[in-house]
Amino acid sequence: MTALPAPLPSAGPPHLTRWLLRLHRPALYAWTALVLLTAVLLILLQGPFADAAAEGWRQYNSCGFNARCVYDQSAILRYKDWYNYATLATAAVPFLAGAWAGGALLGKELESGTARLSWTQSSTPVRWLAVRLATPAAVVTAGTAPLAWLHHLAWAAGRGRIHSAKEWYDVGTFHTGGPVLVGLSLAGLAAGALAGLLVRRTLPALGLGVLLTGAIWGTVLVLLPHLWPTLGRSGRGYLAAPSGSWTVSQGGTAAHYHVTYHPYAHYWPLQLTATAVLLALTALLTLACFLVLRRLTGRAAAR
Amino acid sequence: MTDTAIAASALGKRFGRRGGWALRDCTVRLPAGRVCAVVGPNGAGKSTLLALAAGLLGATEGELTVLGTTPAEARTRIGYVAQDKPLYPQLTVAETLRMGADLNPGRWDAAAAERIVSAGDLNPGSRVRALSGGQRTRVALALALGKRPELLLLDEPMADLDPLARHELMGVLMVQAAQHGTTIAMSSHVVAELEDSCDHLLLIGGGRVRLAGEIDDLLAAHTRVAADADADLAPHTVVESRTTGRQLSALIRPAGPLPADWRTATPSLEELVLGHLRNPGAPALTPDSASASAPDSASASTEETVA
Repeated sequence: MTALPAPLPSAGPPHLTRWLLRLHRPALYAWTALVLLTAVLLILLQGPFADAAAEGWRQYNSCGFNARCVYDQSAILRYKDWYNYATLATAAVPFLAGAWAGGALLGKELESGTARLSWTQSSTPVRWLAVRLATPAAVVTAGTAPLAWLHHLAWAAGRGRIHSAKEWYDVGTFHTGGPVLVGLSLAGLAAGALAGLLVRRTLPALGLGVLLTGAIWGTVLVLLPHLWPTLGRSGRGYLAAPSGSWTVSQGGTAAHYHVTYHPYAHYWPLQLTATAVLLALTALLTLACFLVLRRLTGRAAAR
Repeated sequence: MTDTAIAASALGKRFGRRGGWALRDCTVRLPAGRVCAVVGPNGAGKSTLLALAAGLLGATEGELTVLGTTPAEARTRIGYVAQDKPLYPQLTVAETLRMGADLNPGRWDAAAAERIVSAGDLNPGSRVRALSGGQRTRVALALALGKRPELLLLDEPMADLDPLARHELMGVLMVQAAQHGTTIAMSSHVVAELEDSCDHLLLIGGGRVRLAGEIDDLLAAHTRVAADADADLAPHTVVESRTTGRQLSALIRPAGPLPADWRTATPSLEELVLGHLRNPGAPALTPDSASASAPDSASASTEETVA
């Protein structure tokens, strides 16, 4: 009969997280480098770059209508350009998360069969997937939260001082300067994971991960103005929303004109409701991931 | 402990709702401690059966019991090596084994795993992506055996090995089976490679079980006969028969004593397998079907298998 040898003393839970981090060490290094470089850039923007650009605008404004005007134009352009680069790098994070989760994290494992290798060790496919969703989610949150905060500071440093600075409702600025960034990145991660589980091939899953992330972002863009009640004005004459507010709609005739808008005071309510919507979507996508896994491995086997 | 490693009844697996059946109506029982060859042509359902037993797939219909419980419950006691020997290419050989230790806490036999790897003259520091097919097979086997499985499921384990490595690794498996009583089920479409090492046969063709049982019993149940072309083969079960000129040669399951003027011989395993694969219409011979169709001769062999 089968003789079962005595168990070794080192019994404990399997160390799935450690090996996940080992397998994706290059990605972890690249992510750390991206976060650090962008963070340094945002700190520069918030401090010396913003100060120099504000000084440039102060010089420009003091020129009045003089024909000759000496001001530091390069400082103004430097803030503007590097702010755009930093925004681009930060806004790319949800897409990178979706592409990586679809391609490298799940698509590749399912395509090459290493997923099956893992499922025949001593832990269940459900634990395998749970670790593969929770660990990157923690890493992505730990990176995007400080980035969003620093981005907000870099933007706020120019607000009211730098006339070429973006408005608060600018697409790039809004979606990278608050918890919405964290929500988008987590949703991208979950969407990529679902793509990987559905397609089970590296490159198509990578593409679908990016596509789904883009679809999520597009949906948020469309929904965003409606996530918090707008303020409105109506009356005779062509009215405008108060300066610094985000015009959502306007129209009518000169006799009866109306405009609806979000004032800057709606910044945080909009950020928080959009984040809540994204986190709910992330939860649904995660649930879908586990349902697909159960379909792949069988109801009982997945447990 | 149970004396049955794998018991399937009416097991079936269909991929997709409208897909074809990869395995259908599969009823088999593999006693514990046996080395079982799962044989059949490509696409016969061998891999599907092994993946079902390893808890990697859910069955569409039927029952499957592995080591006395469900495949998922038995996960820690099953070793599985897939056909393409998947391993993480970015890990080194040593890291792969360390991962085996970390993912199988309380079961891992580091010495056994390292023994298999070091016998292959493998540098523990080499990356898996740099290994040859045979070396990968060795590492994959080390990973599966390091888990000290009670049931080892191997899908075409020797397909990409040279004859020397094949012989050597087969030896490793046989030692494992003899020392630890590990039940081994290995699939192959090359019968010759299994003949010497396996004591149990499961022949799958077209998603169904064609032959199942101890190889010795199966061989004993069949006879190659040569007789005159007009000889009547009834009441024996004919697997295959061929007439060349005035000579009839056939592979039969004798239902009683054979006429004295027939020349008889014991078939080889390969002849048995090929005879059944060439003739999909030949009735299946499994312990269950034997007891149903020929009660007097089969009851003895069934008991033999159970004991």
